[in-house]
Amino acid sequence: MSGSRPWGKIILFSSIALFVISWLIKAGVLSSTGGVTDISVRDAFFVTLAAFLTLAILSFLYKDNPYYKFAEHLFVGVSAAYWMCVGFWSTFVGNFIPRVSSTLSGFFGVPFKEFNVFYLIPLILGVMLLMRLSSKTGWIARWPLAFIVGTTAGLNLIRYLRSDFVNQVSNTFVPLLVEWKGIGPFFSGFSLSASGQFTLSLTNWVIFVGTFCGLVYFFFSKEHKGFYGGASRLGIWVLMVTFGASFGYTVMGRVSLLVGRLTFLFQDWLGLIS
Amino acid sequence: MNKVGLLISFGLIGAGLLWFLIRAIRGQEVERRIIFVFIGLAVAVPILFNITFSEKASPIVEAVYDKIENLSSGSKILISYDYGPSMAPEVEPMSNAFLRHSLAKGHKVYIMGLWATGQSLAGAAIENIVKKEFPEKVNGVDYVNLGYKAGNQGVLNVIITDIRKMYLTDVAGVNLDSMPIMKNVKSLRDMDLLISVGGGLPGVKEWVQFAGDPGHIPMAGGSAAVSAPLLYPYWPTQLVGLLGGIKGAAEYESELVRNYPRFAKMPQPGVKMMGPQTLAHLVIMAFIVIGNISYFIIRRRQG
Amino acid sequence: MKLKILMLCCIMFLGAVSAGLAQGNIDTSSQTTTPTISPPASPGNLRAKDTPNDNGHSITLSWDLSSDDGSGNKSVLGYKIFRSTNRDSGFVERGVSPSGSKEYVDLGGASAEENDYMPNNSDYYYKLRAITADSMIFAEMAIFGPIQTTGQWYNTSRTLILLFVLLFTSLMVYFIVKARKGANLFVRKLAGIEAVDVAIGRATEMGKPILYVLGLGTAADIATIASFTILGRVAKKVAEYQTGLIVPCNDPIVMTVAQETVRASYLDAGRPEAYKENMVYFATSMQFPYVAAVNGTMLRELPATNIYMGKFYAESLLLAETGALAGSIQIAGTDEVAQIPFFVVACDYTLIGEELYAASAYLGREPVLLGSLKAQDYAKAAIIVLAIIGMIAANFHWNNFTEIFHITN
Repeated sequence: MSGSRPWGKIILFSSIALFVISWLIKAGVLSSTGGVTDISVRDAFFVTLAAFLTLAILSFLYKDNPYYKFAEHLFVGVSAAYWMCVGFWSTFVGNFIPRVSSTLSGFFGVPFKEFNVFYLIPLILGVMLLMRLSSKTGWIARWPLAFIVGTTAGLNLIRYLRSDFVNQVSNTFVPLLVEWKGIGPFFSGFSLSASGQFTLSLTNWVIFVGTFCGLVYFFFSKEHKGFYGGASRLGIWVLMVTFGASFGYTVMGRVSLLVGRLTFLFQDWLGLIS
Repeated sequence: MNKVGLLISFGLIGAGLLWFLIRAIRGQEVERRIIFVFIGLAVAVPILFNITFSEKASPIVEAVYDKIENLSSGSKILISYDYGPSMAPEVEPMSNAFLRHSLAKGHKVYIMGLWATGQSLAGAAIENIVKKEFPEKVNGVDYVNLGYKAGNQGVLNVIITDIRKMYLTDVAGVNLDSMPIMKNVKSLRDMDLLISVGGGLPGVKEWVQFAGDPGHIPMAGGSAAVSAPLLYPYWPTQLVGLLGGIKGAAEYESELVRNYPRFAKMPQPGVKMMGPQTLAHLVIMAFIVIGNISYFIIRRRQG
Repeated sequence: MKLKILMLCCIMFLGAVSAGLAQGNIDTSSQTTTPTISPPASPGNLRAKDTPNDNGHSITLSWDLSSDDGSGNKSVLGYKIFRSTNRDSGFVERGVSPSGSKEYVDLGGASAEENDYMPNNSDYYYKLRAITADSMIFAEMAIFGPIQTTGQWYNTSRTLILLFVLLFTSLMVYFIVKARKGANLFVRKLAGIEAVDVAIGRATEMGKPILYVLGLGTAADIATIASFTILGRVAKKVAEYQTGLIVPCNDPIVMTVAQETVRASYLDAGRPEAYKENMVYFATSMQFPYVAAVNGTMLRELPATNIYMGKFYAESLLLAETGALAGSIQIAGTDEVAQIPFFVVACDYTLIGEELYAASAYLGREPVLLGSLKAQDYAKAAIIVLAIIGMIAANFHWNNFTEIFHITN
């Protein structure tokens, strides 16, 4: 244990030295090349800081360490402050003040719409919601919470029924034999192209059977036995294929973010690529 | 494409995977940090050697392209920046491509956002793309940045009937009624196409539910890969088309460059990212295969 | 005689010049000019009606195309629509419809402050003009009117949605009442829930605690509410077996509810003294710091069983991976579709989507939960039947049926 302390100090001082060297080199490089914008020492500092924070977060892949903790805490603190400011300026100043006070609107530099007494209701509900911070009056917060839950449910009920239910049911009304003219024409005009009858029919079969079996799987009022069990089994296979595709898509998304970060490091920080 | 880089990439990674396979057959464990190194190499080497592959638009991406292409010049297109810096590497190539395409076709572009961080990213896009590549376009005549409004789906609920109930000015404080672009634009129903670019909440799904569907307004989406599978059921009846992840962005960029020579020299981050993306995916697929081989060998030995 | 003929010719010539000047067709400063576009044929049969299924302030116009629109002279570029509150004067252009279109919706403002305010229950008159490339050459129809706008209380195009709402609500009420009367509503077994008992037993044998994660949702989220029921069941078993329980929370209200749930479960198990306040604690409300806190707990306490039930986002794989590292049995359940693949891959048992809600009904046996689940099942059965009928209708082109499901407004 006592041996790790000098190592810790060495790594710390090395990191600081590398940071300063990188900052100076970056500032020198940027000011000499000029570039499209006149990037100053300040911007070189921020690029270097961003690079070091990126590396600090990535160091977690090796193991948990103080640099990762520092970067994470910094991120948490900055994002909390950012969202607090955004919440104040966009919700309170952007949406509330223009509808209740022309004086305050002028003070904050936002256009005053007109006084609307109904906007005092969300103000009161918001104050009630903050009551949860107190243990004595915390029960008051349940009322605006109930209002939020009820309103959201009411608003969403029709939207979801329309977009995610009726329209989706309508989307399963697919012909299983697309443009069917008989067995003869089907084989004589056989084509594997995306717009061909065979491909379209196969697609529709997959949509219909997949939807049917997926719904059967989520039917809880019957045991999964016999034909019903078979359909349920096919349903879970369809679901697993979907989850696999979703997994692959998500992997692609995560790799994209890694590519973005590495591109920043190689291009903006190290200048290895143009 | 740099063939040397391609050879180095495949050589390095191939050798490493062979080593993995040998260890797997022997039933030896592989330290997970070595797997991280391999993924890092699979991503870093193509970036350094600029390995790219050609892309062809799939039907779902082509549908969006064709929609913008076939709208008559001067049509109104709304682009909503519903993402933050954490998703930007994935979806910003899409939003930039939509912006370029719309302006090149002479459409009127209306920019807004349901995410607070989207406003600054939209502003950056206007500075870096609109003002530099389309200097003839005039703010308030050819494009307008309405900015961000808090309220998520609630904003859509309001502007589907009256934009001016949420937006009185643009992001710079200029009165909307003084802008020629806002003449005869009362609500979202006056738009010829809505495009939402994002991947969280609110995102493309909320735009479909609260704007596209109830308003019968043509709607297209650019989504982060995480959310894309959930949006496929909306295509093609409720969504004109969808760009899913960086692959969708790369396909759209390729289509744009193929048909518009003026964009031949534009940066194509989507296409560039598909090189490392492809290699990383191949490595992951190899890991899955090797892992399964190892699993069955060990199970047989135990049996 | 000759003089008379000459005078007659002069008079005729003067008359023709006068007539030409009066019509403006003769340009006296230049030689003769002929118009390049001939006046198009007039569109016909202009009709107007109050736009249905709206709050008023809108009139829908329709007409028959001009015979020169797309055929004949092909000179029609579009149709201009004019409106007035007076039959004889004051017509103002309202918009232009492109050639080939036979309909136009004149939508006005709903409030007096708006420039194009169009009050309901007022008379409006319309006229239509087929326009060409030359703004001076057009064909105008006779004026149509008066027509009034009114708002409707009921949107008939959403009748299908109303029917579904009534159907589901009725089913739910019926089954909830049935459950309250003590009827035994069958719910099939769920593998993940069966495994919970086994996992709790394993933890007891190993002498290690159980970690229960409620996710990142609020107390208003359905997944979190379902998780509370499962937590109650787990806490009761834990109290009976005298095993340890750790419940780190992400939201203060969720923590409050979870504390009450666990306390009540210990009371039910007859071991109220074994309940400790610090079993259920608030970690942090930020996403990734919460994950860091829970991961730290997993690696320090090495629980035998990890149960993840609720709303999860990007942290799902981080939690499951760390739990696998710690060697715990893992049971997960979430309705976040994007995160289910990660739980399926990294956990031993996963409740997929609605199975989480079914689990809470299965365990809690509360009439409201059971009744709702049954109603959903019947709704699913209805969807299956509709899908089969719709598929047959699509095959045989029974458009009358498939069109019912296209909501136009």
